Amino acid sequence: MIKVRDLHKSFGDLEVLKGIDAQVNEQEVVCVIGPSGSGKSTFLRCLNLLEEVTSGEVIIDGDVITDSRVDINEIRSQVGMVFQHFNLFPHKTVLENITLGPIKVKGMYEEQAKDVAIPLLEKVGLSDKADAYPDSLSGGQKQRVAIARSLAMNPKVMLFDEPTSALDPELVGDVLQVMKDLAEEGMTMVVVTHEMGFAKEVGDRVLFMDEGIIMEEGNPKQIFDNPQNPRTQSFLSKIL
Amino acid sequence: MIDYLMDSAYVKSLPYLWEGIQLTLYITIVGLFLGFIMGAIAGLGRLSKVSILRWISTVYVEVVRGTPILAQVLFIYYGLTAINIGEITAAIIAITMNAGAYIAEIVRGAVYSIDKGQGEAGRAIGLTERQTMRYIIWPQAFKRMIPPLGNQFIISLKDTSLFSVIAVGEVLYMAKQYYNTTFEIFETLIMVCIFYLIITIPTSIILRRVERKLDV
Repeated sequence: MIKVRDLHKSFGDLEVLKGIDAQVNEQEVVCVIGPSGSGKSTFLRCLNLLEEVTSGEVIIDGDVITDSRVDINEIRSQVGMVFQHFNLFPHKTVLENITLGPIKVKGMYEEQAKDVAIPLLEKVGLSDKADAYPDSLSGGQKQRVAIARSLAMNPKVMLFDEPTSALDPELVGDVLQVMKDLAEEGMTMVVVTHEMGFAKEVGDRVLFMDEGIIMEEGNPKQIFDNPQNPRTQSFLSKIL
Repeated sequence: MIDYLMDSAYVKSLPYLWEGIQLTLYITIVGLFLGFIMGAIAGLGRLSKVSILRWISTVYVEVVRGTPILAQVLFIYYGLTAINIGEITAAIIAITMNAGAYIAEIVRGAVYSIDKGQGEAGRAIGLTERQTMRYIIWPQAFKRMIPPLGNQFIISLKDTSLFSVIAVGEVLYMAKQYYNTTFEIFETLIMVCIFYLIITIPTSIILRRVERKLDV
């Protein structure tokens, strides 16, 4: 589904990604862990070109999205993204947040878009909030709306950028549950996270990143129970 | 009592001033409307990725903000002799260009102040840059523009008084014409000031309310 080849990204003189090679298979859940500043968020943002890549290739479902001839808006509409700070549109209701993409990008009629949005709201457990504005929701509710907003575009892949890092601890569970359900339905997911429990339980594969490269990768059991790289060992010993 | 009032210099100046009041409001409103369009274009121009647009917008804003409006209006009316325009047209152009430059900064600041995550979220669902601006950024930014735009309205309203130098029949010009024949200078100018205050004070009050409402 996703192939990344020798991906480099620099901000000015600072090289944040120093050659990433990775692959995400269809229906796979890949969790990216690592210390802050390791480049994991940047890596994720390169997957839908929210960051311009400096060099290297990103291929999604056969399309080389780093090719300048590719219609990036088209690609982005097929790659969902959930942000740490939700980034809901505060001037629109929950329902409008979800239907905006289907209406403006896919050209759906409002009624059609509603038919897409309402089951999604049910799925994330917020059907009673359709007409509420984001400001009236808790962080956990906001993040679930954000997930529904991404799903409304019927994406092939979902990217999660630390989706629970800005939440109060008691609200994390609901969001993780929604993500777990998604994984079980067979959604292809790349999740940058600090929730090691989630990575262990839901992840098919874990990538450990540090200093702009993937230091170690493997199934959760290998990474968490028997890490080989000393960096991974030291990182895990600090957080577990 | 009523006879006395009706006969007073204050009231007697009113019919004469009324013509000027109408023209003052007309120039202000039309000029500000066009100025907003001008300002929106220049403000977004300053944020553009295209360097030539950024450059043109910046030069426009800096030239207008760096020169007095009195010089600008004289330049437009007397300086541009090649194009012979009437004094009211010159006045509207001057207000449009002048307010436009200040509004450009208002627009730029408001758009810039919207959280970057908003644009990213728009782009992430596949909206084009233009759609993101139109449906996500602009509506939020516009709310933040309302208080400073109200402020600009007050400034531009008062600026129209400068157009008396090119014989635009706005309220101050009409007042001068009137007291030159009646010599009731004090009474006439009091009425002119009252007119400005009738517009500006309620505008300020409304703005403060809007500001408080937008805060929550």
